[in-house]
Amino acid sequence: MSSSQSPARKKAAGAAVPRRLRPTTARGPRYGVALSALFHGMIFTAALFGFHRNFETPPDSHIVPVDLVTIAEQTNVQAQSPPAPPEAEKMDRPPPPAPEAPPEPEMIEAEPAPVPAMPQFEIAKEKPKPVDKPPPTKKAMQQDFNALLNKLTAPDKPVKTAKTGPRAIQGVGAGNQMTADLADALKSQIYRCWNRPEGYAADRANDLVVQFDLELSPDGRVIRADSASVSPGNSSRYNYAAGIAARNAIYSCQPYRLPPERYNQWREINPMTFDPRQNP
Amino acid sequence: MKKLLLSLVLLLAAAVMPRPALAALSVDITQGNFQPLPIAIPDFTPTGATGTAGADIAGVVRADLERSGLFRPIDPKAFVDHTSTIDAVPNFANWRTINALGLTVGSVVAQPDGQLRVEFRLWDVSAGAQIWGQKFTTIPANWRRIAHMISDAIYEHVTGEKGYFDTRIVFISETGTAQKRVKRLAIMDQDGANPIFLSPGSYMVLTPRFNPTAQMIAFMSYIGGKPRVYLFDIESGRSEVLGNFPNMTFSPRFSPDGNRVVLTLETAGNSDIYMMDLRNREVQRLTTDPAIDTAPSFSPDGRQIVFESDRGGSQQIYVMNVDGSNQHRISFTPGANGTPVWSPRGDLIAFTKRAGAVFNIGVMRPDGSGERLISSGPRDEGPTWAPNGRVLMFGRALAGGQGSQIWSVDVTGRNERRVLTPGSASDPAWSPLIQ
Repeated sequence: MSSSQSPARKKAAGAAVPRRLRPTTARGPRYGVALSALFHGMIFTAALFGFHRNFETPPDSHIVPVDLVTIAEQTNVQAQSPPAPPEAEKMDRPPPPAPEAPPEPEMIEAEPAPVPAMPQFEIAKEKPKPVDKPPPTKKAMQQDFNALLNKLTAPDKPVKTAKTGPRAIQGVGAGNQMTADLADALKSQIYRCWNRPEGYAADRANDLVVQFDLELSPDGRVIRADSASVSPGNSSRYNYAAGIAARNAIYSCQPYRLPPERYNQWREINPMTFDPRQNP
Repeated sequence: MKKLLLSLVLLLAAAVMPRPALAALSVDITQGNFQPLPIAIPDFTPTGATGTAGADIAGVVRADLERSGLFRPIDPKAFVDHTSTIDAVPNFANWRTINALGLTVGSVVAQPDGQLRVEFRLWDVSAGAQIWGQKFTTIPANWRRIAHMISDAIYEHVTGEKGYFDTRIVFISETGTAQKRVKRLAIMDQDGANPIFLSPGSYMVLTPRFNPTAQMIAFMSYIGGKPRVYLFDIESGRSEVLGNFPNMTFSPRFSPDGNRVVLTLETAGNSDIYMMDLRNREVQRLTTDPAIDTAPSFSPDGRQIVFESDRGGSQQIYVMNVDGSNQHRISFTPGANGTPVWSPRGDLIAFTKRAGAVFNIGVMRPDGSGERLISSGPRDEGPTWAPNGRVLMFGRALAGGQGSQIWSVDVTGRNERRVLTPGSASDPAWSPLIQ
């Protein structure tokens, strides 16, 4: 090979030419090679393990059918309504104050009863005969039998008619499918205690509807039962009386047998509506 | 830096995780179970020389409320608390143990002037709250009326309806045999107490009706052998013939304001309805049909009159305006329907239905709809309304000519029971609340 060199090269090789120095860096010549190797190695690794995945089909992918539509200039699609603001959770009531002597209830002064004006007529000498108890009529017997049937058929256990839905997305206590069984259970217990207003004139029907806000203890007892209907300031005597009847039912039927593990769903009942307008 | 990132991650997770909404359970109660309200009414506490008034008043109140069918007074023997007084809040736990939902505590105090001061409080036992309190001052002889007024107050504040206990019943007292029946005008308290004869028995009296102040009675009598309508003043005891009609008059009824009377005048076999203004005695003819028109009764607003007529071939119920216009039939069910009476609250018309040998008391709306039969007896007829429009009385003739009785029934058809009368009685008319 050396014989084939050109005279110029030979000349140059034989000359005392100063040796060219390798390029250097500030750190020195050894680090540059290492960094370059590392950089290329990273690129290679990324290409090997990362990039090719972009071309693989996801194992769970499927074809989504779409309709192609022409977008109009105007749209009637409205923005989704904002979610309802969270309701404040009721805090436990403060402990009741030390018992005080209850105020004396008010007494209403009545007009002195007038003396009944009675004529001086002959007073009947006959005294009312002792009443023979009339034999029970067929109607009365039927009523008694119906009452017996009611007792026999009255459900003692909560009626479960609804299946529970996914707990994670259902509201606590709201009148939804999840709590329908609780509402039924309450109805089946309280209806027996409610003296449903009957025999009133039709134009009084709306006065007889009353609503209560109830709070129950974990053992099913009434902590409070609030209603404007039983306020002394209620100007409708029909609504007031209907409220008294409903409150009697609420207290008379306690304690309520409800699933304790779902106490957070039946702790507060609002509203509990007593509505006698529907025919039985 | 790490803490900041961790906080951001946690916030993001909290925002994404589903949270339950906070809402109360709602329940609608539409079905009930009728039960008379259990109420405890201890004898009223006496102070001073009150005699037995405290026990007597409480006894009348218990009887009134029990008879209504809407209350169940608890036997005082079951009471475990004998210390409740008018001046202190009761120990409700003691009353809950006997399942009382209502409690009435009262007192009777002898006043220096000889009168009685009667006080009472009505308590809601379940809620531990007072519902009502009231006091009266009266002469001792009025103790029974005071008891009825207390019953009215309790009834009103528990049911919402006005009471009807401080009222009277005027009726026909029947004595003697079926062949020689003596029919006398009589009056008594609604509970059968204080019965008094208002006519001597020498002439027959029928169809008595109160005026709106309960101080005057219109009735039909055969005084002098001529059947005519009379007005009787309870306070003075005087009677007068109503109008100078040439023929038989019967079936009177006062207007709601008491200024007019509608009645039936029979002429040559044809009966028509007339109205007389009591202030000037002017008479107005309201019906002219050749059929029998009778038994008129005003609507509570005084604008309409319900009556019976056989103009359609059978006895049925019709309504017309107070001037006689717009006469139209409202009853179309099989059988004969008669003696209609408009409810004081205006929502119903009570009547007598006869289908074959069966007699019923029924009610229907003023347009004829919603007919319900609320009594059935051998011969139930002639309904009359309590002033609150909630209860009816009627006459019930016994089979075999064994006399008649007066019965009452709730407008729902419940609580049918006999009204005590001295002997046989028929044709009751219920007074308004005593003024």
